[in-house]
Amino acid sequence: MDAPRTDLPQGTLDLLILHVAALGPVHGYAIAQRIQQVSRAALQVQQGSLYPALHRLENKGSLAAEWKETETGREAKFYRLTAKGRRQLKDETEGWHRLAEAVGLILQLSEGDSV
Amino acid sequence: MNWWQRLWRKREQERRLEQELCFHFESQIADNIRAGMSEDEARRRARLEFGALESVKEDCREARGTVWLDSTWQDLRFSLRTLRKTPAFTLAAVFTLALGIGANTAIFNVTNAILLRSLPVPDPQQIVSLKVEPAQPDGAGNTGDSETSFSELVFERLRTRHDAFSAVIAHVPLGFNKISVRHGEVPEEVSGEMTSGNLFSGLGVRMACGRPFTLEDEYNHAAVTVLSYAYLERSFAGNCPGALGQTLHIKGFPFTIVGVAARGFFGLVGSTDLWIPLQRRPEFNAWGSSNDSYYADVNWWCLPLMARLAPGISAERAVVMVTPAFQRAAYEPLGGKPHPDEKPRTLALVPMRGIPGGQGQAKILTVLMAMVGLILVIACGNIAMLLVARNTARQREFSIRLAIGGSRFRLFRQLLTDSLLITGAGAALGWLLSLVAKRALVAWAGIDFDVTPDATVLLFTIGIAILAGVVFGLAPLIAAVRVPIGLALKSSAANLSQSRGRLRAGRFIVALQVSMCLMLVAASGLLVGTLRNLEHINLGFRTSGLVVFGINPQLVAHSNAEASVFYQALLDKLRALPGVESVTLMGNRIGSGWSNNTTAIVDGKNAVASGPNASTGMRWNDVGPDFFTTLGVPILRGRDLNGRDSDAAPKVAIVNETFAKRFLAGRDPLGHSVSFNPAKPYTIVGVVANNKYTGVREHDTPMAYFPYTQTDASGVKHIEMRVAGDPVRVLPVVRKTVAGFSPDMALLQPMTQQAQFDETISDERLVARLSICFGALAVLLVATGLYGTLAYNVSRRTSEIGVRMALGARRFDVLWMILREGLLVCLIGIAVGLPLTLLSSGLLESLLFGLAPRDPFTTSLAIVGVILVSAAAGLVPASRAASVQPTVALREE
Repeated sequence: MDAPRTDLPQGTLDLLILHVAALGPVHGYAIAQRIQQVSRAALQVQQGSLYPALHRLENKGSLAAEWKETETGREAKFYRLTAKGRRQLKDETEGWHRLAEAVGLILQLSEGDSV
Repeated sequence: MNWWQRLWRKREQERRLEQELCFHFESQIADNIRAGMSEDEARRRARLEFGALESVKEDCREARGTVWLDSTWQDLRFSLRTLRKTPAFTLAAVFTLALGIGANTAIFNVTNAILLRSLPVPDPQQIVSLKVEPAQPDGAGNTGDSETSFSELVFERLRTRHDAFSAVIAHVPLGFNKISVRHGEVPEEVSGEMTSGNLFSGLGVRMACGRPFTLEDEYNHAAVTVLSYAYLERSFAGNCPGALGQTLHIKGFPFTIVGVAARGFFGLVGSTDLWIPLQRRPEFNAWGSSNDSYYADVNWWCLPLMARLAPGISAERAVVMVTPAFQRAAYEPLGGKPHPDEKPRTLALVPMRGIPGGQGQAKILTVLMAMVGLILVIACGNIAMLLVARNTARQREFSIRLAIGGSRFRLFRQLLTDSLLITGAGAALGWLLSLVAKRALVAWAGIDFDVTPDATVLLFTIGIAILAGVVFGLAPLIAAVRVPIGLALKSSAANLSQSRGRLRAGRFIVALQVSMCLMLVAASGLLVGTLRNLEHINLGFRTSGLVVFGINPQLVAHSNAEASVFYQALLDKLRALPGVESVTLMGNRIGSGWSNNTTAIVDGKNAVASGPNASTGMRWNDVGPDFFTTLGVPILRGRDLNGRDSDAAPKVAIVNETFAKRFLAGRDPLGHSVSFNPAKPYTIVGVVANNKYTGVREHDTPMAYFPYTQTDASGVKHIEMRVAGDPVRVLPVVRKTVAGFSPDMALLQPMTQQAQFDETISDERLVARLSICFGALAVLLVATGLYGTLAYNVSRRTSEIGVRMALGARRFDVLWMILREGLLVCLIGIAVGLPLTLLSSGLLESLLFGLAPRDPFTTSLAIVGVILVSAAAGLVPASRAASVQPTVALREE
């Protein structure tokens, strides 16, 4: 059986996509696979969300797209990060860290602690 | 990429999207196989994981941001395609809407021209007309336009106030009616105004060619004239430079044409043919009057004034600034200050809107606007029902679209596009119809001012089209979008509950339409009844065989005595013409609305009226010999006026029955005297039966008639001729006779006496005709709506009817069943409409004549009419229901 899956919190899909695309031009299927693998299959990206998100980011100018051949010789649409996307990635990563830290701090409070 | 590039490359994009998703899908299958699945299993898992391909695609398109454009285009094309597939529906909807919008636009266009439009000049909001409130100072002479006329002195003082006004413009008609002008052989009638030199520069009116006249022309009283473009087209074949320099004989005096005003400028008083600078000659007095010139008589208030406010000065501010100067100028000729018990007169500045005197038509226009408004609502009801029917027929399509992943919002938008297309086409066609209707209106109403629709009218049309679109478009849309997805899978029988709701809504709409239709038909009945009453009224004389025209003697006679001689000679010549039975003349043309009014002086003292609330006023007219014989008015006592009642003869007068009853009750009127001036009594020598003077609607008033030779012979008189046969056929020979006196002498407004009286009820005739049209339109729309509802009901119940008949129902029962339904709806409509009708008919009161706004006969007639129409509309579907063959009907299901 597969590992237990976690739904992506709202708004984090864009961050993950930008992060993966920052490593080099990549097509949609590879992005989905990469997220799944790196998260040890804990995060499953639905195609129904992935592709609209890719098109939205492309339309916003955070990603640029190009049709290229894959190593298997088929044509695929490769996405890469633009300068604007890099800035967005930086902002969103910082935001995420701040959020995670804050949430972590709150969760560290044990039940008896007074605030 | 631009949005249009994206739109253009749509096909390419779609291919790429498909390819991208396919690549993902196939990569997944490959990976699944690599993980050890069979090919079928791999494909199944991939598909499960992927979800609905089309919905992913749709989300991607949406994410691209231009989807609204793509899909609007798609919606538009799809709507066009589906509308084309149902041409009957489309035509019915578009045409119904076009009728509603066209009628509204046409009436609004006229309303706009009469009440709302500003002058076609730059910064029209600065243009104001001047009013004196409440009227001219006591003791000042006036023209009857007591609120809007000023003395020459006031004009001269105000025009120097450049702190308040950038221009003050005086403009006054050259005659009460049209004047005679000649630039070839035959004189013609035109409407002319005499204005200050800043008319064109002050307003900012451009010239089509030539130059405007100027202040210098005014100071020199130059004999120059500027024509309107409409007059140029009418009389100079539109040859703009060609008309310049030509000589125009205005009232017999030569004027040089120096310019033609730009097309679209029709003057300040509706429609003016030509303008000349202010003149000093007595022949060119204000309104063509024979009084002293307005230059000589500083106390005669005869000049209408208008002004352009100085930049940054409001009307209120300007009034405050110039009031002291105005009051000084107003009272200077009257001893410097107002009469002790007179409130000093004040000035008011009113924005120039519509045509002068247009406010008098406001009532009629309101009624007409209300009528066409109702028609539009009725039309919208029909279109709403058509749309609901169409959407019901398409429910299966809708539910399939929803089932395969189409969004309800998208469906809503698709239907909205349908409505918008219909609205757009309806509005465009309505606009065209209104242009046709405009022509008809101009002809029917004798409109002599510009009614070319302007931007306001266009905005109005677009506005009501949008409103209509919302009214008829939205409700059915919401209903349609509530379609359950499962419907696609169900059989047709499951539709029943849905369509019952729609049927109820349909009946509700039809009942409302019937109620509005009743209001319209009742109003139309009242207005037609009014016209009939007016047309059948007894004028007090025989109009058949009478022809009338005006003559201005100023061309040949310059004094009272000369004019008497001229008219005597003219009457003698005319009497000698073949076919002429008798000829007379009058100062005020009967039936033209003009009258002389004064306090009656009987036997040298102010008259004492017998009877409660009777006024001591009388009307009078100056008339020629054989006046009553020519008209055919019965002479009750004494004699008619004759040729011996000359200036030198004893002063005589004739009074009417009402005069005798009110002022000389119980006495023999003959031998008493009547006058409008105590120093100048006229002995009463005859009493005549009452007859109409100003118009058809006039009530009986005390009347005195004086020989024109003994009052003032010098002004324009109207010649009345009784001839055998068609009276108009005598005019050419009359024209020749008149030209014998002077080539510049035109027959002013020649027409039959009947036509002259008909003119006094032309508004009523127009309103009656229009209301018949509107009533008929409403009846037609309601009948169609009712027919549609019942026909739909019959088709829905075919099998039920079949069962009923198979079980023994007679054809008549079935017929009655359907007919009853229609009549029930109609009766509900009448129940709602009757109180509304009774409430709203009060609005008509001032337009009616000889019947009350709640005239029971007319109201009952309207009710019966509406019921008959409903029955007729119901009969077709009812008889179709009655002819159902049970076997066929049952097999159908």
